[in-house]
Amino acid sequence: MNFTNSPLYKKIFKDAWSYWTGAILLAILNTAMLAISGKAWGITTTFAYWGAWISKLFGADVSGWDFFQIEANAKALSQSAFTNTGSVQNIGIILGALLATLLASQFKIKKLKSYKQVIAAALGGLLMGYGARIAFGCNIGAFFSGVASMSLHGWIYAVFIFLGAWIGSKLLVRYFMT
Amino acid sequence: MAEYRLDCLGEACPVPLIKTQKKMEQLKVGDTLIVEIDHSCAMKNVPEWARKVGYNVEIEEVDDGEWEIYIEKTK
Amino acid sequence: MEDVKKPKRKKKNQVPAGIGLLIVLVVIGIVLAGISPMLSIYWIFGISFGFVLQKARFCFTAAMRDPVLTGSTSLTRAVIVALMLATMGFAAIQYSAVSKGLPIPGNIAPAGIFTAIGATMFGVGMVIAGGCASGTLMRVGEGFVQQWIALVFFIIGSMWGAHDYGWWSKVFFSKSPAVFLPNIFGWAPAFFGQLIVLAILFAVAEWYENKKLGSEEE
Repeated sequence: MNFTNSPLYKKIFKDAWSYWTGAILLAILNTAMLAISGKAWGITTTFAYWGAWISKLFGADVSGWDFFQIEANAKALSQSAFTNTGSVQNIGIILGALLATLLASQFKIKKLKSYKQVIAAALGGLLMGYGARIAFGCNIGAFFSGVASMSLHGWIYAVFIFLGAWIGSKLLVRYFMT
Repeated sequence: MAEYRLDCLGEACPVPLIKTQKKMEQLKVGDTLIVEIDHSCAMKNVPEWARKVGYNVEIEEVDDGEWEIYIEKTK
Repeated sequence: MEDVKKPKRKKKNQVPAGIGLLIVLVVIGIVLAGISPMLSIYWIFGISFGFVLQKARFCFTAAMRDPVLTGSTSLTRAVIVALMLATMGFAAIQYSAVSKGLPIPGNIAPAGIFTAIGATMFGVGMVIAGGCASGTLMRVGEGFVQQWIALVFFIIGSMWGAHDYGWWSKVFFSKSPAVFLPNIFGWAPAFFGQLIVLAILFAVAEWYENKKLGSEEE
């Protein structure tokens, strides 16, 4: 294909964009999302829905949990991965990243190198999942959207995410470097 | 003018950069380190760091989603 | 931009697969629009977020971790800029809603000791797992096996948190109000104060990087 040699293709689809470009576009997208949907960008609440739907497949009923008494969460339980807005958005994030990778011809399955990565991923995933539930969000919902919403919880989150990252960095170098 | 290789395939940030930083300390001036990576973010932050420190950097895409970063220790 | 040399080996061209995927995404978008327009809007937003995150290699984890580990603050500064821009956009939307007597839009949630505990847990987790929520999803799409595992446990952890939500709610959340800063300080001081704090943080980040990386190789 010849267009892959064109400078415009290279600039937009092949090369990485600058961090500044990313920052501006993410801010515009998040603002547009708030304007259109009335809600700011968030990711992790949907992970609890995914968990609940998977549990349902295995016959476990979680609808009695306090978390699912909250109106929006109760409503989500009755939906599915393709009829819930947050779920559709998260699947979109995965496929949008895949699209960007394929259009740059840079997709590759990156295999595990050591068992330590499995432990790190499992432990890290659990900590993030639990942490996001009690902090009311992740780096996106609580930090990016929270601070931009001028909410106090966003700023507290910002301070302690740095503390956590500092502890995590020490642990990573000490235990999880292959 | 020796040439060294550092295999960081399958490793996630920040591991490739930390390993590169450590390895560069051991190199002599004039030596080159070839860092093999397949992490798209490392393809950005490893060269960025090396240039900031003042080394010569070249990147080669050796395969789909796989790169070799040549870093020459200049000082 | 980055000057990447052409490969010596012959590579496969994945662009046709990318165009194929794009067509599939558009078709799904049309189907979703048929179910509910809001679904297709979230679908488009999700794809756009994923695309931008991947193209810019935008990583919130790196923004918080790199200052400690490598001395780089380039992503930290980019995140601060994103926060400043989003603050302006959000404030305009919030102000117009409030002046019409509507509830305040945005992510305004209870704040307390649990925010600190949760954020610290999240911070540790994202560094060792190699990505936060957005980073994990983006790298799942990039084909990172480690992040596939992280996502599975992220979901398990979310369920665990949802399971314990009742306890946290009874002991903490119910006694902790959500605090909207303009309600405490007034609109102008909160808005401009936030922008000034972010600008100061930007300057500190720049100074820190020069100090760390400038003197490293002496």
